[in-house]
Amino acid sequence: MMKSIKLAALALVGLALGSMSALWMSGLIGTASIASFADVNIDGWASDRSIGAASADAYTRARVARHGLLALAKEEAIYFTRKTDDDGDPLSEGCTYQISGRPQDAFWWSITLYDAESRLPMNDDDALSIDATTVGNTDAWTAIIASRRPASEHWLSSRSADVFDLTLRLYRPAANVIEHPHTNLVAPKIRKLECGETE
Amino acid sequence: MSRLIGPALVFVAMVLIGHFATLHMVPGVIMEKTMARMEESGIRPHQFTLAPRTTPQTQTVVRPSPDLAYSICQFDLSGDQSVRVRAGLYADYSSVSFFDARTNNFATVRVGAGDHPASGSEILLRASGSAKFESDSFAGPQFEAPTRRGLILIRRLAPTEAAYNEVISVSSSDSCALVSRS
Repeated sequence: MMKSIKLAALALVGLALGSMSALWMSGLIGTASIASFADVNIDGWASDRSIGAASADAYTRARVARHGLLALAKEEAIYFTRKTDDDGDPLSEGCTYQISGRPQDAFWWSITLYDAESRLPMNDDDALSIDATTVGNTDAWTAIIASRRPASEHWLSSRSADVFDLTLRLYRPAANVIEHPHTNLVAPKIRKLECGETE
Repeated sequence: MSRLIGPALVFVAMVLIGHFATLHMVPGVIMEKTMARMEESGIRPHQFTLAPRTTPQTQTVVRPSPDLAYSICQFDLSGDQSVRVRAGLYADYSSVSFFDARTNNFATVRVGAGDHPASGSEILLRASGSAKFESDSFAGPQFEAPTRRGLILIRRLAPTEAAYNEVISVSSSDSCALVSRS
């Protein structure tokens, strides 16, 4: 009798351990973000191109279900996430950054700011993204990432975000960007300007 | 020593079962919860509902784009019926994407102005293994849904309030209706 109870307990521990390991390996628990599982990393912009694809493995499916539910397959959209500035430091509400880039080879693109829970930060600044319709897709552009509205025209608000990341979306990307992102993605730069107190 | 082999094998087997069962179940569980949350918020099956303009206060899924307007329809093909989808014509970026109950994006159709000059913007969604829908009144693309239930999402580029208001107007032409095969 005691032997059976011990065996059942061992089985339960095994099931729990297996379950927890699956959640950890797919990034559903622990500190790993969606960017930690990328198959492409271009100057800090990380992407998992199997998102949305039928060929995605079980870990990718679980991860995307949690961090990118209803994401599109790469033929329609590709997503790059960036967690650090050009110095390699985590992006933080307490700092001000200049983000700069050039036109992307896609029908439309945007850069959106998310908090550590993959949510839009709770502020009412109406400045959580910039896109090809606001900064243009024909010339070089710059914008400011800060918790307070800057003097410059283009602003990404990090107010109430704490530590955050950015997602670059390319809708209807050109085939060369999908196939050879290292040579064809125009990776925006993120330069830290200053750090200080948050509101 | 040999008496430990049996329990050790049971333990390893249970770890593997727990690991892969969890991986298998997670997408379905998350999708099910998402669909239940949508139903609670008033989204009914087989009709498109235009979500409020995406803001921090209105977000319902992770990583929504505040530049896009989302119209959502839940489908359920349990009765061997099909769903006929029509997206109102929008002048800017617009797509209809189909997701099964395990979160897979199994089809996406571009329906912006100029994308479908001949066939219009009608799409038919059938249950897996069902016969192709034949009708003189329908010439659009057809897809088989890998699962009976799932979501259909129309994305439209709407980075401004004015653009979102335009989507409100266009989306009145959206439909996501069950059609019988007989």
